[in-house]
Amino acid sequence: MKSAKELLQHFQKQLAAITSLNTLEELKIEYLGRNGRINQQLKNITQIDPSERREFGQELNTLKEQITQEIELKRKKLLQIESTKQTIDTTLPAKSYPKGSLHLVTYAIEEISHIFEKIGFIRMSYPEVEWEFFSFEALNMPSDHPARDDFETFFMDYEPHKEHGKMVLTPHTSSGQNREMRRLGKPPIRMINIAKTYRPNWDASHVPMFHQFEGLCVDKRINITHLKGTIDYFAKQFFGEERETRLRPFHFQFTEPSFEVDITCDICQGTGKVNGEKCRLCKQGWLELGGTGMVHPNVLKAGGIDPDEYTGWAFGFGVERVMMMKPGIGLNNMRLLYDGDIRVLEQF
Amino acid sequence: MEYLETDADPYEMQKYLSLSGPSIETVEKVGDDYVFDIEITSNRIDMASVFGVAQEAQAILPQFGKKAKLKFNPLEKYTFDNLHAEPVPTHKLDVTIEDPELCSRFTAMVISDVQIKPSSEIIKRRLELSDIRSLNNVIDISNYLMLSLGQPTHMFDFDQIKDQKMILRRSKKGEKMTTLDGKEFSLPGDDIIIEDGSGRIIDLCGIMGGENSSITEDTRNVLFFVQTYNKRHIRKTSMTTGQRTMAATYFEKGLDPERVESAFVYGIDLLLEATGGHASSELVDLYPHKREEKKVKVYLKDIHRVIGVTIDEKKVTAILEDLGFTVKRHENEELAYPDGVYFEVTVPTYRTDDVDIKEDIIEEVARVYGYYNLPNNISPLIYIKQPHDMEMLFKTISKSKHYLKHIGLHEFINYSMVSEELLKNLGMDPSKHLKLSNTISKEIEFMRRSLAVSLVKNIKDNQGKKDILKIFEIAKIYTPRNEDLPEEQYVLTIAVTTDFFDLKGIVEGLMRELNINNYTYETKETDLLSQNTSTAIMSEDKQVGRLGMLRKEYAENMALTEDVYIAEIDFDFIQNNYSITKPYKDPITTAMVKLDATIDMKERVYGELEKKAYNASHLLQDIEIIDRYKENLTIRFYFADPSKNITEAEAKHELETILKQI
Repeated sequence: MKSAKELLQHFQKQLAAITSLNTLEELKIEYLGRNGRINQQLKNITQIDPSERREFGQELNTLKEQITQEIELKRKKLLQIESTKQTIDTTLPAKSYPKGSLHLVTYAIEEISHIFEKIGFIRMSYPEVEWEFFSFEALNMPSDHPARDDFETFFMDYEPHKEHGKMVLTPHTSSGQNREMRRLGKPPIRMINIAKTYRPNWDASHVPMFHQFEGLCVDKRINITHLKGTIDYFAKQFFGEERETRLRPFHFQFTEPSFEVDITCDICQGTGKVNGEKCRLCKQGWLELGGTGMVHPNVLKAGGIDPDEYTGWAFGFGVERVMMMKPGIGLNNMRLLYDGDIRVLEQF
Repeated sequence: MEYLETDADPYEMQKYLSLSGPSIETVEKVGDDYVFDIEITSNRIDMASVFGVAQEAQAILPQFGKKAKLKFNPLEKYTFDNLHAEPVPTHKLDVTIEDPELCSRFTAMVISDVQIKPSSEIIKRRLELSDIRSLNNVIDISNYLMLSLGQPTHMFDFDQIKDQKMILRRSKKGEKMTTLDGKEFSLPGDDIIIEDGSGRIIDLCGIMGGENSSITEDTRNVLFFVQTYNKRHIRKTSMTTGQRTMAATYFEKGLDPERVESAFVYGIDLLLEATGGHASSELVDLYPHKREEKKVKVYLKDIHRVIGVTIDEKKVTAILEDLGFTVKRHENEELAYPDGVYFEVTVPTYRTDDVDIKEDIIEEVARVYGYYNLPNNISPLIYIKQPHDMEMLFKTISKSKHYLKHIGLHEFINYSMVSEELLKNLGMDPSKHLKLSNTISKEIEFMRRSLAVSLVKNIKDNQGKKDILKIFEIAKIYTPRNEDLPEEQYVLTIAVTTDFFDLKGIVEGLMRELNINNYTYETKETDLLSQNTSTAIMSEDKQVGRLGMLRKEYAENMALTEDVYIAEIDFDFIQNNYSITKPYKDPITTAMVKLDATIDMKERVYGELEKKAYNASHLLQDIEIIDRYKENLTIRFYFADPSKNITEAEAKHELETILKQI
């Protein structure tokens, strides 16, 4: 029968020789297992003088604890060695998962819808092939308005409607205004219409089809401050909190007063200067965002709404335009979005 | 500064005017002068002149604490009463207007014994700073007047006009003339022209004079012309002939016939001084319908209501008067202030077309008061119900697009219009499509009734750019109807260059993602796709889509180098059958027995087999194809009874039943 001390020395010798987790596990069983050396020793306790049994037991317990600790220590060391043994060239290419793309306009539409949804505007959809009435008359654009001629609007080869005139491709999303007024019957109206629009213009920087988003708000006591605040809200949400907006007088048939919205330039932070030079992107720190205004009383009337009781505002901005103005997009020619080159589209 | 006295510097003017009036795009310093590039909106053609901008400045600059006052008003200074010409009527002017519709005012006079020479330095410099080439002392005056007052005028060599006769009339289609820039035109018809009685056209009115009567170095007698024309005719002629002259851009906006008088008198003053000539004909002034000033009534409370802030009524009056309006205040004493206060505003004739209703007056006040002075308020929140179908449409479009993107497809957005050639190449009949009557290109002439036509073209255009192409589009198609707008229906179309089963997997993956399972496949006659490599997607006995290989003959028409597989699904079907998740089922925890069987498929169709198998055994939980060899399929059948453990013998019995049924 070996003394505890001898047993420990023997164990430590064996332990020092171990280089793998498997043999360590074997050693552990050899000493600490059910039939291991420690338990074997314990079985011998009956052969010991009863007065020494207590001390014998304590010694064995201490030994067991020490062996347990040393094995754990050794295991950690071995694991450390094990994990450094394994090496990977982490710069090798990864397993590839499919990566598709969405059209830039899709992202813009989703973001715009979300921004307006938060303040209670519902997204709607209306005909894109429309009667002249909804595209023009209902928007206070008389028949001699230049926007109605062949150079500004696509017409369809189709028998005109008795009341609503010729069939056109919507040159703007504003044709949805009258449609929404008719659908609801009376205010309040909070509508956003994002749709395809068409103009006979196709060259290096123009496309015959593009997208607009139209906002319409009609209610009692709606005034210019609401238009201003809502557009400022949109601009800050879409472009960034640090951006400022301003309104400049403009002219549109379907709004009165009419405005053009400008937003501070992100390149020069609205200063108009980059490193002391004139900013090449903007005019004195401002970029044009689009057109807006208070809904013209004739437009309200055409929608069956009393302009003395209700007022409203509306805007129509270009989807591609605002998206291209978003910092970090880096695309500046709308045509690229519609030339159908996979190498362009797959980037988004 | 000819008209305006102010202490604002040019850059302050730029900033302030842009905020409240005409947008000054750039200010350029040239020597001691500053040149403004100004954008004028189409309704304010009266502002497209030095005087017009000065008048705006008079109203706007004081709002920014700057002094601004008109030195004089040319509209008041230059009137026929002050015409300095004392004509010796040696020349007779014989003017006829055939159709008064065409010309609202016609003034003319002959100045004789002129000396053609370069203009004075000041006129030369001002024109050149405005990017107008200085030609001589006569023609320059015409341009100078246009810049000063916004009224184009014209000068003729009077001796070149045969019989000294002028007939203003509509052109006939095909009549020929050469404008003074040497371009020859065959007129489109319905243009406003002046002929000299012999059929010789001397003026393409409002656009450009004829070469045959232009001012040359030898001109001795000048005929000076100031008119206003019907704007519609001018625009049409200018657009169709492509002669986008400065004069045309003025006339097509509609000019004030009252201002003709000031431009005329100022012009005669300048001509006499510059040429040393003298008036030699009577003044001709044909002005059948005098334009009257109109009045608009506006309540102070409405001004406040629309602008959203309270503006002092004295400020309202001052703003309007500085802009050239006359304001008369009235008050209904029975109403509490300010509800009874209203203004009777007289609109100057040059604003007749632009100011019509009280909102127009409100705009004038609001813009000069300054939009920058107004607070930002979000529109009051209120709940409006979005129609359920709209909500589902946008939601499912978005979910579908993102799913397809995540499994590696690329979204395209194509024009809604396609070419006749493309339709024909894909076996479609152009006459069944809505057609544009004024397209600008053959490429975009017909409203598409299938997105596949566009996607096939996309594949063709991108051949060779990628090894495989997997693309999709979700958009409307336009189906013509009788005496109505076309039906606009959303469709999802996918095109891939891989194979049928890849495409089918995409379609089924999408359906699984959207939890749609009420559809089956059925072989059907189809136009675009090959008969034996395509299938219809059916739901409740209705066809809701199809998928398969593009017919070889169409692929050849399109010069495609590989087969293209196309799936088309009506979006209505997706929108109406989408659900957020499928119903929960307890997981099967009892024993599952798997049994394999190899089946000869020579006389069988897998879809049928599967259907029959499920019908034959209610313990059958799943089927999986594990091997395929020639005509043989090795199929693994999974049997279980959720309520108790089954034995292998029971499962074998089920399999035998199945094999008998199929």
